[in-house]
Amino acid sequence: MRKLIILFIIVFPFVSHAQNLRGIVYGNEQDGKQPLPGVNIFWQGTNSGTASDGDGNFEIRKQEHQHMLVFSFVGYETKTLHVDNLNKLEVILQPNLEIEEVSVVRKNRGTYLSAMETIQTERIGGAELHKAACCNLAESFETNPSVDLSYSDAITGAKQIKLLGLDGTYSLLQVENMPNLRGLATTFGLTYIPGPWMESIQVSKGAASVLNGYDAIAGQINAELKKPDSNEKLFLNVFGNADSRLEFNGNTNIRLKGDTLTTGILVHGHDLSAKNDHNNDGFLDEPLSQMFQVGNRWKFNNHQGYMAQAGINLLWEDRLGGQVDASRNMTPSVDNPYGVSIKNNRFDAFFKTGYVFPNGRTAVAWLSNFSQHETDSYYGLTDYVADETRFYGSAVLTRDLDISGWHTLNSGFSFIFDDFDEMLYGSDIRRIEKVPGIFTEYTYKPNANFTLMAGLRADFHNIFGNFVTPRMHFRYHFANHFTLRGSAGKGYRTANVISENIYMLANSRPLSWKRDVMQEEAWNYGIAFVQNYMLLGRDLTLNAEYFRTDFQSQLIVDRETSSEYILLSPLDGKSYATSLQFDLRWQPVERLDMLLAYRINDIKQTIGGELKEKPLTNKYKGLINLNYTTNLKKWMFDYTVQFNGGGRIPRYPGDMPLGQSDNNFTSFEPYTIMNAQITKYFRYWSIYVGVENLANFKQENPIEGADNPFGPQFSATNVWGPVMGRKIYLGLRFNLNYE
Amino acid sequence: MRKIVVSMLAIIMLALINPVLAQKKENKVVCFKSDMDCANCEKTVGEYLKFEKGVKDLKVDHASNTIRVEYKDGKNTDEKLAKAIEKKGYKAEKITPEQYKVIVEKTKAEGHHHEVEVHRERKD
Repeated sequence: MRKLIILFIIVFPFVSHAQNLRGIVYGNEQDGKQPLPGVNIFWQGTNSGTASDGDGNFEIRKQEHQHMLVFSFVGYETKTLHVDNLNKLEVILQPNLEIEEVSVVRKNRGTYLSAMETIQTERIGGAELHKAACCNLAESFETNPSVDLSYSDAITGAKQIKLLGLDGTYSLLQVENMPNLRGLATTFGLTYIPGPWMESIQVSKGAASVLNGYDAIAGQINAELKKPDSNEKLFLNVFGNADSRLEFNGNTNIRLKGDTLTTGILVHGHDLSAKNDHNNDGFLDEPLSQMFQVGNRWKFNNHQGYMAQAGINLLWEDRLGGQVDASRNMTPSVDNPYGVSIKNNRFDAFFKTGYVFPNGRTAVAWLSNFSQHETDSYYGLTDYVADETRFYGSAVLTRDLDISGWHTLNSGFSFIFDDFDEMLYGSDIRRIEKVPGIFTEYTYKPNANFTLMAGLRADFHNIFGNFVTPRMHFRYHFANHFTLRGSAGKGYRTANVISENIYMLANSRPLSWKRDVMQEEAWNYGIAFVQNYMLLGRDLTLNAEYFRTDFQSQLIVDRETSSEYILLSPLDGKSYATSLQFDLRWQPVERLDMLLAYRINDIKQTIGGELKEKPLTNKYKGLINLNYTTNLKKWMFDYTVQFNGGGRIPRYPGDMPLGQSDNNFTSFEPYTIMNAQITKYFRYWSIYVGVENLANFKQENPIEGADNPFGPQFSATNVWGPVMGRKIYLGLRFNLNYE
Repeated sequence: MRKIVVSMLAIIMLALINPVLAQKKENKVVCFKSDMDCANCEKTVGEYLKFEKGVKDLKVDHASNTIRVEYKDGKNTDEKLAKAIEKKGYKAEKITPEQYKVIVEKTKAEGHHHEVEVHRERKD
């Protein structure tokens, strides 16, 4: 695929309809002007460019709309010329005694908005992953303006994310471009990818490409793990926090046959055995937990177009939450303390391979993964036991339709198999999903500034029948500074009604559902406008985006209609979500990266026949993130402030205020969270110390009715803010590279 | 809470001022001619050298095969820095800052595609 893109960039200038512009570049030297070879010449804002030859001559294709021609070369001032005819150019570059671009330690921008992607995408690189305490995928989003992170309840420690203000289940979660951590892994899956295992994360908003499936209603989050053929020889990380959470991560890459055949081993373990109850409600603030994970992956790359990767991953997890005196071997009973015990075992495997034909115009790829997940748990007196076996396979053929690469077609087929078996309230629920599907996506890219993508897929679901998913995207880069993107598309999702809401069992009211599986359906539209400028010699990025999701069918968690049950029922009426976000990225001072962001969420659902604001959702979110590194990046300082808007707390008829004042009963107030971290880098290792929730803001009474957990008022699911207060942590990283 | 914001800003300000103050002291400059020839080697040498004692600023360039180190006088010596480069398997032939300037200039005139890579990286 990449090869194709590169080829496309190379081929493009020679086949377009435009005309040739010729010229010669000189350097202004002490002894007069001298021809300058190797000067990089390109149209501003594009990748279409050339280099001057040995005598300083160059020739470049000029499209009608292209005017700003950039000349850049090491050691010379970059020059931009306005060109509006095809007269031969003579350009003289002035030497620049300071060699800027050659310095070794360039500052990596942690997160940035790509100007090249067709879909609005935020890339979170390795530098950003160093910014947060970052124990796992969930926590990597603490410095991100687009993704919100919250606890789903106050007992299990499950974390959920929201993209465009919509629950994480509406975003397609991928690991290495393959859907993963779904079904039974939905609740805890975000904590299953250790931070130090990750190389980068991509967050794309709005309808995703049809190649990845029919889900991805709100967007798509892809985590790329460390590759076995990377430079890293050995990486070790230990982490501890003031609540005695200990964590270990490590990975090593072995080159079995140069960079042709490589393998990597990854391990993760963490332990929290100390009981913490800082708010003295008799409940653990976070569950005791142990987790162990080991992964092994292989990569073969013959560097002639063929590549294959495969790997396995094993995971064991054990959590025990609830009252402080709960123990692992007690029998759940009203005479014993209230406990929540969750055990997860998971096996994952993947295989993907690709081949680029020697002509560079055709490529084939196969992606597949398999997972087996077992859960054994109880919440108070209720048992929940489940297992799931899942397979995903997808084959894609990419073909450039013409030699110039203006028209590209991606087509293929996919297959999903999901065997789900769960047991709750004594009933055994089993279902098998089988979904073969076909898809095709056409990309029109007449020049580097414009892309149009139109995709269509048809899936043949054994439970929900046949359905069609159309999607469309465009990107237009114009007037050098502006990028406009638009997207529209349909999305579908299989809602595993019980397993996705299993944390609702930490509540006195039992769950009630009509169907244990249903299909959700929505349209998503979005528009984004990105502006790039230079301000005081440094990049300034301004972004404005608007997304809207309209649900035709949705699973509604209704905690407000019935005083006896929590109703999991299909949507009857309207449901929509809109998200309007602005952000600004700039370096006000050299090496100080600043990010300011603000988002307004408007999320409404019809609950109990009435269109209401979705409960426990912030009305807005503001974010300030500052990152400073010293020269040569020996020190790094990070500071993040999140301003979270207030929202609504769901209440049922007859629900009585317990402890809270009346005005805090049905709604919560805005609150602020701050995180800070300092990292010191040494030659082979680095040490970081930080504070989470610096202002020590905590939700009062996250567990309602805590003094009588088997009584009718008990609820640990009305969580809107942090359960845990200020927390100091310390970590060490050790890293050795191949040279 | 306001206090915390203020103190955090103070820390950030300090961090900003610190390098400025540090640079006021006299630093020694040493330049070397080397034989790196590849971008990866450049990275290796750079990453290694920046953690040598007293190193304040650094320019490593594989195109012109030159290394320029600025370090705190008394904390390190030209010889030790040369040894560090040799330890990574590269030549470290000491040259004067004037020679350094000439070589760098000359390389520009000969042309090198280094900038192209840098540019691509920045685009995406």
